[in-house]
Formats: sequence, C-alpha cells, structure tokens
Amino acid sequence: MADTTNDQSAVAADAGGDERLAHRGPIQTLLTRPEIGALLGAVGVWLLFWLVSAPFGTVGGTANFLDVAAYLGLMAVPVALLMIGGEFDLSSGAMTGATALIAILLANDTNGAGLGLHVAVPLSLAFALAIGWFNGTLVEKTSLPSFIVTLGTFFMLIGAKLGFSKLFTNKVLVEGLDEAEGYEFWNGIFGAEWLRNSHLWDVRSWSNLWLVRDEMWALLLVGGVVTLMVGTFELTYARRRSPNVAAMVVAAGGTVLALVGLILLLAQDSTASNWIGGILVAAGVLVGVAGWCRSRYETPDRSERGASARWWQYLISGVAALVVAMLVAAVMDATDSSQLGFLSGSFGKFVFALGIALVGVLAVVAALGRITPGYPALGAVLVALPSISFLVTVQAARVILFGGLALLGIALLWSTARRVQPAVTVSLAISAVIVVLAFFIQSESASRKLRVELFTVLLLVALLLAASAVARYLSATRATAPPPPQFGRWMHVCAVLGVVGVVVFAVIELADGDGILYALLIGAAKGGIVGFVAYAVGTVGRTLLTRDEGVGRALVTVGIGAVMLSVATRLMFVTGSELETICTVGTDGELRCPQTQFGVVVLSFLIFAAVGSWLLMRTQFGSWIMAVGGNKEAARSVGVPAARTKTTLFMMVSGAAWITGMLIAFRLTAVQANVGDGNEFRYIIVAVVGGNLLTGGYGSALGAGIGAVIWGMISQGIGFAQWNSDWRFLVLGALLLVAVMVNNYVRSRAEKAPTASSATRPDKTEITIVVPAEPAAGAKEDQP
Amino acid sequence: MSTDFLELRNISKFYGNIIALTGVTTTVNPGEVTCVLGDNGAGKSTFIKILAGVHQHDEGELILEGSKVRFAHPRQALAAGIATVYQDLAMVPLMSVWRNFFLGQEPKTGVWPFRQIDIDKAKRIAKEEMAKMGIDIRDTEQSVGTLSGGERQSVAIARASYFGARVLILDEPTSALGVKQSGVVLRRIVEARDQGLAVIFITHNPNHAYPVGDRFVILQRGVSLGNWAKDELSQSELTQLMAGGAELEELQHELAESSAN
Repeated sequence: MADTTNDQSAVAADAGGDERLAHRGPIQTLLTRPEIGALLGAVGVWLLFWLVSAPFGTVGGTANFLDVAAYLGLMAVPVALLMIGGEFDLSSGAMTGATALIAILLANDTNGAGLGLHVAVPLSLAFALAIGWFNGTLVEKTSLPSFIVTLGTFFMLIGAKLGFSKLFTNKVLVEGLDEAEGYEFWNGIFGAEWLRNSHLWDVRSWSNLWLVRDEMWALLLVGGVVTLMVGTFELTYARRRSPNVAAMVVAAGGTVLALVGLILLLAQDSTASNWIGGILVAAGVLVGVAGWCRSRYETPDRSERGASARWWQYLISGVAALVVAMLVAAVMDATDSSQLGFLSGSFGKFVFALGIALVGVLAVVAALGRITPGYPALGAVLVALPSISFLVTVQAARVILFGGLALLGIALLWSTARRVQPAVTVSLAISAVIVVLAFFIQSESASRKLRVELFTVLLLVALLLAASAVARYLSATRATAPPPPQFGRWMHVCAVLGVVGVVVFAVIELADGDGILYALLIGAAKGGIVGFVAYAVGTVGRTLLTRDEGVGRALVTVGIGAVMLSVATRLMFVTGSELETICTVGTDGELRCPQTQFGVVVLSFLIFAAVGSWLLMRTQFGSWIMAVGGNKEAARSVGVPAARTKTTLFMMVSGAAWITGMLIAFRLTAVQANVGDGNEFRYIIVAVVGGNLLTGGYGSALGAGIGAVIWGMISQGIGFAQWNSDWRFLVLGALLLVAVMVNNYVRSRAEKAPTASSATRPDKTEITIVVPAEPAAGAKEDQP
Repeated sequence: MSTDFLELRNISKFYGNIIALTGVTTTVNPGEVTCVLGDNGAGKSTFIKILAGVHQHDEGELILEGSKVRFAHPRQALAAGIATVYQDLAMVPLMSVWRNFFLGQEPKTGVWPFRQIDIDKAKRIAKEEMAKMGIDIRDTEQSVGTLSGGERQSVAIARASYFGARVLILDEPTSALGVKQSGVVLRRIVEARDQGLAVIFITHNPNHAYPVGDRFVILQRGVSLGNWAKDELSQSELTQLMAGGAELEELQHELAESSAN
C-alpha cells in the first residue's frame, strides 16, 4: 500500500501538482468506508460455510439465514443510527416483545380488552413511539447517560410485560391473535410471505420471460463486473487527450473474441468446447483490456525500476504456504464428516494446559513490557485449537486449513508484487498460481461444488487479477480525483420514473389482494429497479455520447447495482436447471415443485438498510446524527437541534421495535412475556461488527445490516455444516472479535495510505472497540 | 449619536450567586475590529456565549441596529448574522471537511420526501472557499480531525464568512497556533474587516490584539475595566492594563530581585 502511495505522489509531482493532492483510487476510498471490514467478513463467512456445508449455498439455506438476519437487522439499523448519534437504547429488545404483547392483549376479547386489531395495532405503535419519546426526552432533559435511562425503561418494560400477561391471562404466554377482529387485514401486512417461484417477479406479468428466470442473472453479473471494471479504470487512470484509434480496434477485437468464447461456453457442454471457450474468454478479456487502456489512458512513466530488499522473503514464504496448502488437501480425507476431535485425548489436554500456562506467563511478561502484547495471542491459539477441534468436522478442518493457507500464500505473493517495480510480472504470476490452485482443486476434490463452482470462480478471479495487472502496467495513475458526473435533470427523470414505478407496482399488488405494507414493499423493490435501469441506461448512453470526465463514478455505481441485482435475481428465481433437479412428477402426472418462502421481514429489512443508509449518508438529518454523536456542543452551536435529533432517533428505534414486534406477533400468533428480552445487546454487537463506533459519531447503517447477515450466517451455518452446536456461541464470539479486528485493521491501513502525515486521526478512532489491534506495527513494517 | 451596528450596554450575567460578567459596554461596527482582552477566567467565554445565543444576559441591553435583541438559541444569533468561531472550533473531528463546513445549513436538492444534501455542490463550495483562504484542501472528504490547527481555524472562518455573517466573533483564534499560523489568522482578520465585516476578536495576547484592533474592551474577573478606541490607548498601556497594571510591575520587580540573587 505504501508503494502505491509513492507511485501516486511521484506522478502527481511530475504533473507539477501539489504532492499532497495524491488522488485516492476508488478501491482505497472504498476501503475507508466503515462497513468494508464487515463486508469482507461476510464474504469470508459465506465462503466458509458454502464450502463446508451442502445446504448453505442453496436458496433454501439463504432464506433460512436471511430470516434470522432480518429480525436482527431490522432493529440493528436504527440502533446503529442511534449509536452514531452517541446514545444507546437498552430497552429496544424488550420493546419488540412489549408491542406484540400490547397488540394481542388489546385486541383479543377472550382474555384481553377486546378492541380489535384496527385499534390495537395503531395503539401499540403509539405506545412504542411514546416510550421512545420518553427515553429521548429524559436523556436530553436530565443529561443522564442513556445507558442508565434506558436500563430503567428496560426493567420497567420487563416487569410490565410479565405483570400484565399474568394479570390478564394468568399465564406467561399471551395467545389468540388470530381470533381477534381484523386479523385477515393485518395479517396481509405483517404476515405476508412470498414464494420464490411465484411472487416477486411474478410470471403473471412477465410471462414467458424464461431468459429472465434462467440466465438473466449471469448476464447481469458479467455486465455488472465489466461496468465495475471500466468504472474503476476511469477513476484510477489518467485519460489521454485524443484516443488511440488502432488500440481501439484491438479492444473491439478482444471484446468480440471474449463474446465468442462466452457463447461457446454457454451453448455447448463438452470438455473440448469448455477448454476452447475458456481460453477464448481469457485471451479476449486480456487483449480487450490492453487495447482499451492503450486507447484511452496515458502511458505511464516506466523509468522507476527496482525492488525492496526483502521481496524474496515474501516470495519464498508465499510459495511455501501454497505447497503446504496443497499437501494438507492431499493428505486429509475430504469425505470424513465425523468431528475432528484430534486434540481430545491426553495430548489435547496437554496442549490446552500448555496454552493456558503460556497465556498467563506471556501476559505477565508482556505486562512487564518485555515483549509486545501480541505474543500471548500465541498461547490463546493453543487454547483455541482443542476447543475448535470439538466443533468442526474433518472435512471442514481441511477446507479451512487449505483455504487459509492458500489465501496466506496468495497474500504473501501479493506483498511481493508490491515490492517489485514494475509489479506486473508478479501480478501475472499470482494469477497463474490461482489457476494452478483451481486445477488442483478440480482434480483433488471429492465434492462437485468445489470441482465445478469454486473452480470456475477461481479462474474468473485469476482472470480479473491478470486484467487489472495489465491495465496497471499500461496506464498512468491519475493525479487528481475526477470531477463528479454532471447529470443535471437526468437524475430527476430517474427519480420520477422510480417513484412512478413504485406507485404502479404497488397498485398492481394491491389489486391482487395483497396487504398494503406488502404491496408497498414490493412496489418499492420493483420501482427501485425501474429507477436503477433508467439510471444505468442513461449513464451508459452518456459514456458513448459525451466525453464526460466524471463518468467513472457513475459506472461504478451502475456496476455495483447490476451485481447486486444479479445476486438478488438468482435468489428470487427458480432457474430451469434447478426446476429439473427439485421438481417431481406426482402420480397424477402433475409437476410438484417445493417452494422456498421468504417472509415479508426480509424485504422490510432490505428496505430498512437501504433507507437507513440513504438517511445517514445523503440527508441533512444524517449529517446531524453524525454531528450530535461526534461533538454535541459543536453541533448545537452551529444551529443543529441536538435534542430533537436525538429524540427522533430514540423514536425511530422504538418505531422499528414496533414493526419487529408486529412481525413476530403475526408469525407466531402467540408471544411469551419475555420475548425479545436480551436482544438489545445483539443489536449493539451487530452494529459494532458493522463498523459503527461505540462512542458515536462514525459508522454505517448498511454496515449494521451486513453485521446482522454475518450473525445470521454463523448461527445458522453451524447447524447446516453439522458442527457441534454446543460450541456455537464460542465460535460466534470469536468470529465477532475477528470481524471487529479486521474492520479496525483495514480502516487504519486505508486511512494511512494516502499521505504519510495524515495519520493524526482524533483519539476516538484509535480506541474503536475492545480489541487493540496493532495496525501501526504492521503498517510501519511496510514502509520502504 | 449615530446608531452603532451592535451595541452592548452594561451587559451582566450571573450563574447563581457567581458574578460571571458585569457592566460590559462596547460597540461593534462594520469594518472595525473590536478586541476583547482578558486573562483566564476574566469572563471572555461568557461574553461570547451571550452574543452567540448560548446563554442569555441577566442585566443590560443588547442593541442590534437600533432595536433591543435577546438571543434565545444559537440559531437566532446566526440568523441575525452573528457567527462565532469557537476556541474548540465547533467542529466535529470525525466528520469530513465539507460536512463540517455546511453543518446545520446543508444545501439541499430534490423534492420531499427525497430531499437530500447536494453533496457535489457542498464539496465544490467548501473547496472553493478554502482555496480563497489560501488553503488547498487535499480532499474535502477527509475528516477535520486530520487537519492542522490553522487549517481548522480557516475552515471555521471560511464557513462563517460564506454564510453571510455580519459580525464575526473569533474566540482565541491564535492561542493554539504557532507564530507563522497566528500571522496568517491575523491577516485573515484584517481581510474580513476590509470586506466590511464587524469582527470581535477575543484574545489574551495584547501583541496580537493591538495591531489589528480598532476598539478594546478589557475584562478582569468578570468586570469590565473599560472600553477604549485605538487612539486612546498605546500598546504598552494595553499590556499594562491587561496584566493588571500594578501587579505586573510588582512581578517584574520580584523577578528582577530573584534573578539578581
């Protein structure tokens, strides 16, 4: 990372600019986002469970963990906003149960007030908002820490919940929601579910679009990745004044070659055609990227050559790690699904005891200042090993070891690349190494998933790495950030189209007899897609028609959107090939297909995360949230209504608690008096994993959503992978710590990168959370 | 007597039985720098907070353009054109430069409920305004915490003048700065004055105050020692008054003795 900075400053200085104006590339900018650690963690966790368990990667498994994540995330998003605003709400968990309880008790006439749901549901919302207002006002008026105030509310709610349920029903279980008046109507709102192959993209209106159901997601993915790549190039490299026509022809030729290869891959399914197709795609992409870069970007100054002293150490250790990885894969039995437990005997006990002793001794030595505090962690690893060996299966251990070592090897090689100028050869070598790994996995693995899917993914990753290496070799890094894209009225057109889409789709759903909330949510999802498509078409059109410098940013947005849309499409649809495998023909000759259900809670969660992010990043209210959390006095003195902002945040949390409570109530129709109690800490943990600062002033709503997804994946994945679930919370805790550490580390690295002297962030960021990761030491080591 | 732009008559403030400020009288006019001098605990902060609307005065009158005013909230003072650059700079260190620049007065675009901050415009203006002050912000996305003291000061002053302040209150703008940066800030004060702003410059350093000031108010332990125009006072007199006159002489005497020993 340090080397990149030097490159950039050198280029900037050549251009006669201020050397402080080193432009941050899009990837560096992305790395400073608070949720990036959580995002990487989520990808890692998903990969791990995808590799070690069969059902995890299927849509059914996804629906399963998304459901868990959604109930958490729905609350974690507003809790994160409140946390960024500098406050906590410990009553948020108890609140979810309280609203459900109140609604049922007020509605039911056998052992409640008998008001019916049309009165009871709005009343419970009013109650929730009132408690939120009470919390906020009390915190503001008394200046007491919100921890204390909401702890009071928390206990009051718990007591009231138990007291009232015993008073009315003589039980701790309050039931009979489905007998209350107005159940049908409200169930349409809070109890709705959609079936994967019938609803969100209903064939009623999109009839015969089999392309949509089958390969649309793949095309979207490829298109999205390409757009993302071009956008990243635009943001990173300096545009040349006049395009090079000859190179443009080369680029076009490469594109055609890649397309031919792609068609060949899709159309035929034989070993020979796969080989030819794959090679054509790879060659086409590389030639295309080379041509594009030559025609569009400045040629870099290649006078700088040389390597830093220790590059060969990294090279050797990288290769060694890869060799060990392959040995592990070859030696360990891939089909053994029994628990590992190889440290369960007396040897295990010995290692365990040794670990504890080491932790103790080393901690004392570290406390005396003799060694850095990193060493006791070694002892901790020895303690952890026997514990983990009870948890995972042999198969999983192999995957983890192999994957971890392979990643380590690649990372070390990558470090080598950064130490050698120009780094293109090493980068290409890394791609080659990944290709070798992919073929090794293909020949070695017992599971079809690894042989086919992981193999393909690895080859694609290698191709992308090679393409970016070629681009970096051929193009000069730009010295200044490109200007923002000038869209003028176009954005308004997109927004209007989106809103019209929301209304139209919502009305269609409503006409079909679905509930209002459900119709609105579906309408929002579809309308959003319409708006996005308009934006994407307009942007791509602009690239072709104008020479707008700012188009890179728009392309990146479109690319990310397309990739996300592709993943969503894949999840929402049954594909033709899937239907073939899961459907059975009944005795009456009718086709029976199992359905995957997504609860309305998942859709609410996704929309909450999106709206929460928009609110925080783009609106005045969002700026105010960060300001009151970061420095309340400062915010007040420039005219931010701090008290109102905080009270609104408390009310948002309790409002979300109401929605969650209703979703729980309509799913179960009966609730225990203690439902939701204790969840407030999960919300906070999930928000912290998502990159939110415990001390306020910094964070991300989207991150909280991603944190919830990580939690859901881990807690469900352990079951899917047939690990010993007694140890579940140990893994959850450990992984959460790791997630936070990675988050901290990535951000501090990324922030140090742009200038040598910009490491003077205020104290608050340093202390982020719990774990004093040591990015400083690692970063220093990298300085040449 | 022609009406002054902003006039303070016998302003006093009490916190319970503590007299924080009493009998402060001065005038503030466009194109002038009014310096408020005082040692620690002299009541300077209370003075600022009354003008900025954070606190309200208990006695006396605050007259803005001929009419009595009383600011109940910082927003009212801002609306009246009184902008304050605080000693702690009233900045949120974790937030980016452009967010700090526009905090509380974000430029907005779009129709409700899709109203959002016009981020591109905000970034552009923040960069331009900082450039006018001779500071090339690397990236307006960088957090204020990464800026140097002088740069932060400049963000605050640029923000105040951009939002059409007519009275600019600077609270100890030079106290945390090095010699060179102090010079830059003093020059900025003169520039602001020449642009027709009324500047209230709070400091404990008479050497910084005298060259730029047109009018001086000296506070000591909450009491106003007086209100002088520049031609009524020399720099050495100012220093004397500021340090408590006789006390300083005594101190000099003592020091001379101790060094002789």
